[in-house]
Amino acid sequence: MIHIVTGGSGSGKSAFAEEQIVNLQGDVRIYIATMYPFDEESRRRVERHRRMRAGKRFETVECYTHLEELKIPKGADVLLECMSNLTANEMYQEGGAGENTCEAVCRGIDALAAQAENLVVVTNEVFSDGITYDRETQRYLKYLGTINQYLARIADSVTEVVYGIPVRIKEE
Amino acid sequence: MKMVIGGAYQGKLAYARNTWKDAGKLLDGAVCSWEELKDCGIVCHLEEFIRRGLADGLPMRELPEYFKKENPDVILVCREIGYGIVPMDAFEREYREAVGRICTQLAAMSDEVHRVVCGIGTVIK
Repeated sequence: MIHIVTGGSGSGKSAFAEEQIVNLQGDVRIYIATMYPFDEESRRRVERHRRMRAGKRFETVECYTHLEELKIPKGADVLLECMSNLTANEMYQEGGAGENTCEAVCRGIDALAAQAENLVVVTNEVFSDGITYDRETQRYLKYLGTINQYLARIADSVTEVVYGIPVRIKEE
Repeated sequence: MKMVIGGAYQGKLAYARNTWKDAGKLLDGAVCSWEELKDCGIVCHLEEFIRRGLADGLPMRELPEYFKKENPDVILVCREIGYGIVPMDAFEREYREAVGRICTQLAAMSDEVHRVVCGIGTVIK
């Protein structure tokens, strides 16, 4: 089962995504963290998410780039958070996929889906603020939008979380 | 408690006034005080109220409990602002996230949440 969870900033999408994995009641839960802790603010965010997951039996695996090379135990329920970070990492980190980010990320998801019993992927709605961005940011929006469309295509279900309320946009 | 949410200029307030015709006094979050929130029917521009409070260093995360205690039947109209690229400016980041967290708590307290797009409301809770 592949379930994509999307939503805006501070919408409660992480809490919802964690709940989906916990409700499966599987034995092995893997959390794939993609946010590279490059400053104090990002370290605080990582810490907040770690506290949210505490007691839910997740094993945390960090993966900033090259998702397709990641090996996980058979039969695991996997939560990957968040596609917006993974995409930025592939685009901008040294050794990342750069111009080939979309292909690299989608291949990575395919490889992960083939290994996982169930896969929940958190992504992010960052496309609706009416600001005209510089070319580089527009390229990022295009890549993330393309990846999100691919995810929704291969997913069994897609949920947008709006202020903690799950709105189903693709039903299983 | 009820909430009407949606993007800018989607007709959220008109929708709210049309849906609850006897809602009572309307307050504008861009100018009203905490005290006034106790005695009103509708608050519009809740995002502006949150923004002003953050700029003044007020404990805005207490706002949901304040409504629950002081005005539990209020209708709240708030713009969704969390659907863009993470802002470069630290205050803008804080504002964006605070509106999300506060509205998530308010939505949990609300018995109805309506989301308005192009003037058309969808009841999502």
